[in-house]
Amino acid sequence: MQETCEIALKIRRYNPDNEKSWIQRYQLEAGRILRFTDLFRKINKELDATLAWNSSCEHGQCGSCSVIINGKPMLACELLVENAVAYFATTEFLIEPLTIAPVVRDLIVDFDKAYERVNKIKPYIIEPVENPNSGNEYKISPRHLERYVDATRCINCFCCATACISSHHSFLGPNAVMASIVRLMDSRDQANGERKKLLYSEEGVYRCHTSKACSFVCPKEIDVAHFIALAKSGKLESDA
Amino acid sequence: MAAKFKISATLDCDVLVIGAGGAGLRCAAEILERKPGTRIVAVTKVAHCQKSHTSTAQGGLAAVDPKDSIDKPIYHMFDTWKGSDCMADQNVVKKIVDSAWEQIIWLENKGMHFSRNQEGGLSKRTFGGHTVRFGEASAFRAVFEADRTGKGIMDSVWGETLRNGVSFVNQSIATELLFKEGRCVGAVLFCERKGEFVAVCAKATVFATGGDGQIFQVTTNCRQNTGDGLAIVLDAGLPVMDLEAVQFHPTGIVGPGILASETLRSVGGILRNKDLEPFMEKYAPKMKELAPRDLVARAIETEIQEGRGIMNPDHHIEHVWIDLRHLSDYVHEVEIPEVTSFFKKFVNIDPKRELCPVRPSNHYQMGGIPTTEFGEVQSFNGEIIRGLYAVGECAAASFHGFNRLGTNSILELITMGQFVGQRVVESLADKLPELPADAGKKSFTLFSAYLDQKGKENLEKIREESRALMTEKVGVFRTEVGLTEAIETLKALKERAANTTLACKSLKMNPELILRWELDNLLSISLVTAVCALNRQESRGGHARKDFPERKDDFNYHTLAFMTEFSKVDLGKRSVEMSIFESNCEHSERFGIIERKY
Repeated sequence: MQETCEIALKIRRYNPDNEKSWIQRYQLEAGRILRFTDLFRKINKELDATLAWNSSCEHGQCGSCSVIINGKPMLACELLVENAVAYFATTEFLIEPLTIAPVVRDLIVDFDKAYERVNKIKPYIIEPVENPNSGNEYKISPRHLERYVDATRCINCFCCATACISSHHSFLGPNAVMASIVRLMDSRDQANGERKKLLYSEEGVYRCHTSKACSFVCPKEIDVAHFIALAKSGKLESDA
Repeated sequence: MAAKFKISATLDCDVLVIGAGGAGLRCAAEILERKPGTRIVAVTKVAHCQKSHTSTAQGGLAAVDPKDSIDKPIYHMFDTWKGSDCMADQNVVKKIVDSAWEQIIWLENKGMHFSRNQEGGLSKRTFGGHTVRFGEASAFRAVFEADRTGKGIMDSVWGETLRNGVSFVNQSIATELLFKEGRCVGAVLFCERKGEFVAVCAKATVFATGGDGQIFQVTTNCRQNTGDGLAIVLDAGLPVMDLEAVQFHPTGIVGPGILASETLRSVGGILRNKDLEPFMEKYAPKMKELAPRDLVARAIETEIQEGRGIMNPDHHIEHVWIDLRHLSDYVHEVEIPEVTSFFKKFVNIDPKRELCPVRPSNHYQMGGIPTTEFGEVQSFNGEIIRGLYAVGECAAASFHGFNRLGTNSILELITMGQFVGQRVVESLADKLPELPADAGKKSFTLFSAYLDQKGKENLEKIREESRALMTEKVGVFRTEVGLTEAIETLKALKERAANTTLACKSLKMNPELILRWELDNLLSISLVTAVCALNRQESRGGHARKDFPERKDDFNYHTLAFMTEFSKVDLGKRSVEMSIFESNCEHSERFGIIERKY
């Protein structure tokens, strides 16, 4: 249990005060089950209090601490030192901010900008189907829910959008598209026309190149590409 | 340095919501539903409201379905009262329980993806402490969205407020409440990304800043939950209530502090100390691992305090083991897959082959800003502060008293959110108040001091020391000696905090500056918590005094505390509301001062 690891973090930094960007190397002794968020905290405490990074829940439920580690977007709170060493077969890690929004400082990006594309698809019920059991719940069979429930687990960490090989400027991005698909499959919303207009527009699903990078990097292990494929083949309509 | 600070912009609005988690946004949604077009500004400390602590709630929402022929609201009220150790306010209990189902349907209509039963209706599950016929049998009362019920709520209230037009101010903190002629007229915000102070003038200000779990070293709470809301309220000369009432979950996973569900014990997991001795036999010879939550937490804490814990070298936290190795593959793979995956993901342990490190973890703050049943904030002598409301975990109405039942927390968020919203709407006819001339002065003084301070103390180290101290001395067990020591140490830490030098002097997105501000909040709330705990010479609910192990009727009241300057704490009392007991309705006799035995 005692063993520690000598590792190096090379962090891409950005100072908004002088608009300078550089890569800074931190050498540290790290316990094997420390997570990368713990390492950032350790850097703040022992090496450099100015390093800026984001986190909130620190157990993979909120998606605030997404960064790119050796090229792969992932949640820093879920990556343990010994797993990182095994997975990337190195003790040196390049850590960069997400690429889907402007960097504010170091590893912190402007999530407001990132979320603009999710807001655009209207992640709520636009036009409710009248509930026949007024005062009670809708009837939704578990089998029907099963078709799209995995997509509802998305936490908007934007790892998929970062990994996506399609252009960030012309494509809504995998997570935003998936949020729209959820409501198309949800039998409680009937604004399908409006949704499809955007989903099949210039910035919609046909921008996807089917690289499946989204599914590969999703920290929640959602098969994002599967839902995009459903949308492409037009098999979204509910049969509840 | 203060001279260079300024208010960069002044925003006028009808309602300012500080804290955009489940409670704050449910309240905003209600206001917009009743009065479309209301101008609401919602501020959150996190990068986006979806990142709020509400999103991490797993279990479920307690609500009695009117279609259920067995369960009744009066049973849910009784369970809540009994669970609270006779400290919940009964008017609030009745109000929340009675409206619970309506709230579930509201969420359902707003698109929450509740888990379904075979008939397509809402699935229900049982939870500890929830019973039918006053403790006779377990109640199937909790609706849920798989193991992410909080996320379902958060996504629904975010969607609703986005749809109906709330102005979100993300990654920003409220640094000062503003008053004019005794009325709250808004707040000063510090927007981190731009590094700017903004004054907000509002007819109503709603506090929904969440819990204070980060005052403890081991906690299930988000990193943001540093008790900021309570600290600002104290700073404004207003009281907080029942801060000594803190809930600890027996089995947090060492490292992230996240919960290892009770299920581990119910499927046969065995708790062991460093000598691998199955110690629960000593504390509960019959029930062993199946004893109630608080008893198990105290047993684990005793083992650790008496030197039979194990130190985790990476996280520097002492723990005991839970042994799951003897359980069949079926149990691991079918009955406890999520928890198994947590151990794998966060501590790299395979519970089929290895012992798993757990210890009691801070989970919930029952106390908070004292309010009426409508969320109106009260002064020390019980007067209502005009224009100021509080809701959610930061508030104490009080629904939970001294111990909260599982699934009652997110129920409180949405029900109280709605009630506060209703009340706020009634106040919107007033004309927009004026801001005081010195708005921002307090914040400027504070922040310039942070930037100017010099010394060799390390910010992160003081924060760590304070949190470790709270877990050790003000945690699961408290004693007069320990609490007194804690209070003295906190005072010393406060002095040391003044000798820290910030390495980054920028105002723009400077987490170090925020950490410094949080440290003051953590120290204030830690201190008040310790003082309240020292004052309460009894054991009740989540508050366990080793030197006073019994509950005493002399303490049948809520503790009020206010702090005019650091460490000068004044204490007062608020009586427990017992209107159900006094109503002479059917079963009212069960709502007296009863024993909390299961």
